[in-house]
Amino acid sequence: MSAERKFPFACNCSRRSFLATGVGLAAASTLFPHIRSGAAAVPEGQSVFNYDGSTDPFPIPWLDKNGSHNQPAGLGNEPSSIYHFKGKIARCSDFIGMGTDNKGNRLAFGNPTTDNAFMQGEYFTGRAARKGTFTHL
Amino acid sequence: MVPVPEGGLTFEDDGKTAILQLKDLEIIDQPAWPAFKAEATPARMDIKIVWRATNEKISYGDPQKQFKVDGFKATAQLEAAVEVPSLGFSWKSDPIGTSKAKFAIIGDEVNGRYYTP
Repeated sequence: MSAERKFPFACNCSRRSFLATGVGLAAASTLFPHIRSGAAAVPEGQSVFNYDGSTDPFPIPWLDKNGSHNQPAGLGNEPSSIYHFKGKIARCSDFIGMGTDNKGNRLAFGNPTTDNAFMQGEYFTGRAARKGTFTHL
Repeated sequence: MVPVPEGGLTFEDDGKTAILQLKDLEIIDQPAWPAFKAEATPARMDIKIVWRATNEKISYGDPQKQFKVDGFKATAQLEAAVEVPSLGFSWKSDPIGTSKAKFAIIGDEVNGRYYTP
């Protein structure tokens, strides 16, 4: 690094005057408590922005069918709904079954798009590896 | 996709059988989905799904999509109960042994940053 390089935030003040300025800001913050923390300055009803990104699992990038990030179950298709994932998975679809409603009517359930899955393991999001279990119902 | 609470997913037979059991899930009844702004009614559901691996191994992946799956073809059975209070409707499936899925797999997957060709 060049000794001549100038830092954009450098000021023409001695260390002593810099500390004095700091003390002044601290004193001001006791007079104006609303500026003491970032959280207090966030408008009501809004959350603090997470600069590391969401901690929600990352969706499969090329899937966005109706926003569901889903694709049909089947051999050759990716079972996980989470990208940057490693772990246990299971998937199933096209159920055949019967049931009864509260009026005694016999109603079948299941069709080719009735699919279920789970994902349990490690996923990477928000700049960190995390562990969790999720299901697609 | 929803998080599974602690104990909601269990394994038996050295991981070859998986049981997903969730109770009192808050869901929506949305008969017209995926129609845009399809009407949705609050509902609740209990569900249990059992996957059992067969002896038929599977292994596939896609280098372009960066994923790899190793596991087994499986059987899957399901039982569930659903209630839509505002409609006065409820429904309960027959016992789990009476259902079956035409497609099921169970195994391990890696994708994205964890994928190696």
